[in-house]
Amino acid sequence: MHQTGFSILFLLIFLFLGDINYTQAQSKNSHPSNDDSILTKKEMRKQIPMYIAIGLGTNNSMFRDYATSPLDYSGRVSQISLSRYKLNYKRETELGFSYDFGSYQNSYNNSFASSDLKRFELYFSKLYKVKLFEAIGVNTKLGFLLAGNGNFRINRALQNNGVGIDIFANLLGSIKFTKDISRVVAKDKKFLFIKYKLKEKKRDLAFRINMGLINSSYRNGYVYTGQSTILNDAMVFDDYEFDIFSGIRVSSRLDYTRYLNNKNAVQLSYIWDAYSSGEELDEFLMAHHIIRLTLLFNTNNR
Amino acid sequence: MIKILKYSFIFLVLFSSTSCEKILFEEELASIDPFVNFNYLWEECDKKYAYFEVKNIDWDAVKEEYSAKLYKGMTQDSLFNVLGGMLTELRDDHTNLFSEFNVSSFGVSYLGQDNFDWRIIVENYITQDHYRTGPFRHNFLDNKEIGYVRFPAFTGEINGINLDFILNRYIDTKGLIIDLRENGGGAVADVFNLLSRFVSSETLVNFSRIKNGPGHDDFSQPLPVILKPSSRLIYTKKVAVLTDRGTYSAGSFTSLATKAIPNMVLIGDTTGGGLGLPNGGQLPNGWQYRFSITQALTLDKSPDFENGVPPDIRVLIDWSDLTKDEILERAISELQ
Repeated sequence: MHQTGFSILFLLIFLFLGDINYTQAQSKNSHPSNDDSILTKKEMRKQIPMYIAIGLGTNNSMFRDYATSPLDYSGRVSQISLSRYKLNYKRETELGFSYDFGSYQNSYNNSFASSDLKRFELYFSKLYKVKLFEAIGVNTKLGFLLAGNGNFRINRALQNNGVGIDIFANLLGSIKFTKDISRVVAKDKKFLFIKYKLKEKKRDLAFRINMGLINSSYRNGYVYTGQSTILNDAMVFDDYEFDIFSGIRVSSRLDYTRYLNNKNAVQLSYIWDAYSSGEELDEFLMAHHIIRLTLLFNTNNR
Repeated sequence: MIKILKYSFIFLVLFSSTSCEKILFEEELASIDPFVNFNYLWEECDKKYAYFEVKNIDWDAVKEEYSAKLYKGMTQDSLFNVLGGMLTELRDDHTNLFSEFNVSSFGVSYLGQDNFDWRIIVENYITQDHYRTGPFRHNFLDNKEIGYVRFPAFTGEINGINLDFILNRYIDTKGLIIDLRENGGGAVADVFNLLSRFVSSETLVNFSRIKNGPGHDDFSQPLPVILKPSSRLIYTKKVAVLTDRGTYSAGSFTSLATKAIPNMVLIGDTTGGGLGLPNGGQLPNGWQYRFSITQALTLDKSPDFENGVPPDIRVLIDWSDLTKDEILERAISELQ
């Protein structure tokens, strides 16, 4: 509840900063124009709208770490994100990070255990337009997502295995479909006896799927905990092992983006992300369902 | 119509995401079935426990014996007794089963006689006016010629200030007694913080190896445990360390290290052992367990001290005289 209130306040402040009414000014931002042909490549790149994206979200998430427990831990944790986002009709690039924090619980058979988790993710993505589904007005882009994330978990019920650090690095192939759902012409409407006007709006709906191509992990060794403390040489990544091909990762993202006349934008996203690593004795599974509100601040006035 | 399509699309995305998760991940193993939990615990130990061969335990025979005690519909209490009993066969106090209503343990301290009574020491040796410094209790003995330091548990509270005070107080004594009897262990960092005050150069004290495969003899290469001297005050005179069957885990690590430190002598009874680092985990029914997953090896790379670190001088308490601590008396005479 506290988090929801914070998100609403965040949105209201942002909306207050700019006129919500749509103007025709930004059409060049998202669609190719004839001017493009007379610009050099460098100039064209400069024309691409660039945003600083600040997001707040809630993450309904679960994990299972067979190395210590066969049970699911689930929780609703908070997420903040920051990224630099460049996009137009032909290409888009995003470099950013997100941070999730909160507590996961397992309660079963009168036994209760809690795991405090902090999760960092650093990601870089590049997408290029392809000629697919143009006939039905869908902009399709293909590319990749490079993601590295680390979990830091503390679960006192697991005693000497209570601290878990997992690092995952993934290269994912991506496809993104964007549909322009703007209201180009204002509409006069009537509900019962109330007349109202729907103004022009620039907005789009996008759906993206990422499929892991290379899934690597840096995780604990065979018996999970290491022996560095009893060697009088305590270290963080004690007895850790790097595995370049381990597990799978699949994610998807649905974005509804509303552009404002001050060239900023508001984006509401649903992100699903699931990955696994290891096998049998030490398999690790994690899934996230994130609802995120992102404010995109245009930094180059394009 | 477009709106309906739009919302259907969104619903489809949300629905497909949760469904995909079910395809990607197998179902959770949560279960209160006695057979599921028994097999899970038996296999975890079978693949990871470190001392089957040292203790000559036939784990398959243990499975046969205890699985025969399982039956459908047994109570939680009965299941706990079967699983806890199975773990007790490992004869290791670093091996326990924890539930909301009971904790299983072996009780290694009962393998030998009781060899410690704090009241005898207070009333006949250090008086009630003894000092309390951090986790230590201490005072002079024998006309101020010997220092006595009681260390009841490795609580992780040892620091430079409390050790400096104690060592400064007894710097002019002939020797120091460190009493580790009935010290059940705790923070391993305390072992090195304490012992670093009794060596003047880097000292190899033991080796350690960790399980790295499912075979009972699958271990990493032994790695050396090096004790580094403290940069603060160091006590170089003779030190007697007192032990008994209740000296366990970090207490046994300390006892093992004394074998490599020339000015230290171990007096009393064999320790309880506990030289394996315990892990931690959960069963499918939510109960928790732990067992040893490393082996501490002597300087000749033997793991046998898991069954107890033997003293250099074996002395037991004679309970017919409650005014005298024979182990402490022997330590005093050794330090003269």
